[in-house]
Amino acid sequence: MTPVIEVEQLVREFKSPSGGSMQAVAGVDLAVNEGEVYGFLGPNGAGKTTLVRMLVTLLRPSSGTARVAGFDIVNEPGSVRSAIGVTLQEAALDPLMTGFELLQLQATLHGLRKGAASAKADELLERVDLVRAKDARLGTYSGGMTRRLDLAMSLIHEPKVLFLDEPTTGLDPISRKVLWDEVRALNHEGTTVFLTTQYLEEADALADRVGIIADGKLVAEDTPENLKADIGAARLEVTINDPASHAKAREILGGHGRLLKPRSGVSFFLQLPPGDTQLAPYVIELDQAGVTVDRVDLVEPSLDDVFLLKTGHHLDADAADAAPTPVP
Amino acid sequence: MIAKPSFIENLQLVWALVRRGLNEILRVPGASLPGVIAPTIFMLGTYSIFGKLALLPGFDTSDYLDWILPVGFVQAAAFTGAATGVNLARDIESGWFDRMLLAPAPRWVVLAGLVCSAGIRVLMPSSLLIVIGMSVGLRWPGATGLIISFVTAALLAAVMAFWSCGLAMKFRSQDAAPLMQSSGFMLMQLTAVYAPIALLAPWLQTIARVNPFTYVLDAVRQSYISTISWQDTWPGIVAMVGMLVASAWFAVWRIRKMNTA
Ligand SMILES: Nc1ncnc2c1ncn2[C@@H]1O[C@H](COP(=O)(O)OP(=O)(O)OP(=O)(O)O)[C@@H](O)[C@H]1O
Ligand SMILES: [Mg+2]
Repeated sequence: MTPVIEVEQLVREFKSPSGGSMQAVAGVDLAVNEGEVYGFLGPNGAGKTTLVRMLVTLLRPSSGTARVAGFDIVNEPGSVRSAIGVTLQEAALDPLMTGFELLQLQATLHGLRKGAASAKADELLERVDLVRAKDARLGTYSGGMTRRLDLAMSLIHEPKVLFLDEPTTGLDPISRKVLWDEVRALNHEGTTVFLTTQYLEEADALADRVGIIADGKLVAEDTPENLKADIGAARLEVTINDPASHAKAREILGGHGRLLKPRSGVSFFLQLPPGDTQLAPYVIELDQAGVTVDRVDLVEPSLDDVFLLKTGHHLDADAADAAPTPVP
Repeated sequence: MIAKPSFIENLQLVWALVRRGLNEILRVPGASLPGVIAPTIFMLGTYSIFGKLALLPGFDTSDYLDWILPVGFVQAAAFTGAATGVNLARDIESGWFDRMLLAPAPRWVVLAGLVCSAGIRVLMPSSLLIVIGMSVGLRWPGATGLIISFVTAALLAAVMAFWSCGLAMKFRSQDAAPLMQSSGFMLMQLTAVYAPIALLAPWLQTIARVNPFTYVLDAVRQSYISTISWQDTWPGIVAMVGMLVASAWFAVWRIRKMNTA
């Protein structure tokens, strides 16, 4: 397999408000193969957008190299641009234009002649289900409609590689599902997709491989299944309402494995030794030591656990609360 | 993938971008109204206040209207050019301009789209100026005079648009708006706006003589206060070409820098 995106030691520095400089992207290496959906997962400020802007030629790297569709992002930006479609995280659409006009302009920007541009615009409006809104000004579009139109714009020249920077952030579950289906369909047709997200479920659902970024560094990269398998054993969530027993419980549980940072509302989060799937012995031991256990759950690994393991933090409060699926 | 666009396709794109620029006037007329009427208001106001100024020796005309109305074309160009830059700064802030930069279209096409829309938009305030001017008694400047006026307004709007768009791309923020607006204003104040150059204070005369606006304004003015002569025209052409080259160079430099920052 030839990599469609090859990134080597890519760094981007910014001046930090305090006067020094900070690395938003701090030496990232990655490769995305043709036909893959690569999910780039990280919390706010991790450096996702900065990396994408470099790959799509909008931002120059401070150091390192990258090739997209076989072209160097610094030396052959024009060729890169012709080969890629991009949906940026914060790229406003002109509220005075209609959906159809915008697609037509985008087609013209990509060198389509007038007749072909109109035909392509109509075809794409059909594809993203915006035919009825085609003559409405964008100022009247909903968030989901805007994202769909944005996606359609990025497809106008049938790009080989598609970059989507947080395509579903802020969308309701239904709109999100529609976009996911569209991304899957595009990938099925052969488009390589590089997608950033702060949602675990999104990376899990869409990506063939996931790269986890934190503070500008790639901390893990594999298929979602392998990443979760790496976590290996299940984990135990223990809730003890009486704070007086916490010290004792910590001592007992800590003797069995690594204590991780629990999500809110839970007292302890214990990484069980490999192969251990029994929770009863822990409850009995705590009980014998006089600690009253109010709730105990065995949880399957999720991408949030991968993130937690690699960085010591949960991806974010919302995601962490939603992520673990208790085993009955 | 699509082959490199041809020249015709590039021109189509320029027109598509101009068309988008005109939306600001056609679809939100209210917002562009002040810019359209401002030069006319200036002309009427100045004429009403300083109308008697033309009785001073040194004016080539006895009607101050002939003297002050041509200023309106320069002013319209300065306003429109600055507005183009402010709009670009807004589009850069909002991320819209990233879409232009992501297109494989050549950079000159994107710039040409911006600048040509300024050149076309300036025809609105210019037309209003001439119509109202005539209705308050302006002497017909002749077809050639009128063509010189409109072409000058369009080219000067392009100059100011190049300059303001360059500033927008440098600062990437609407904070640069006062800089765009004041540059045209200052060049206008430092020339023979209200009275002939000979009547200005010596220091202002010196500045006015090196200010390209002086020669452009003279070239427009000739058909209103006397007759068109080559001697009053060529310095204007030289000044205009010089400003076009310099401002275009600045804008091209900045748009190239956009991606490499
Ligand atoms: N133009 C800039 N100037 C200075 N600092 C910047 C600039 N762009 C990004 N940064 C900083 O770089 C870091 C990474 O930002 P980036 O936008 O890449 O994060 P992100 O992962 O996309 O976050 P989000 O999920 O919020 O979109 C942040 O600390 C941000 O403040
Ligand atoms: Mg981002």
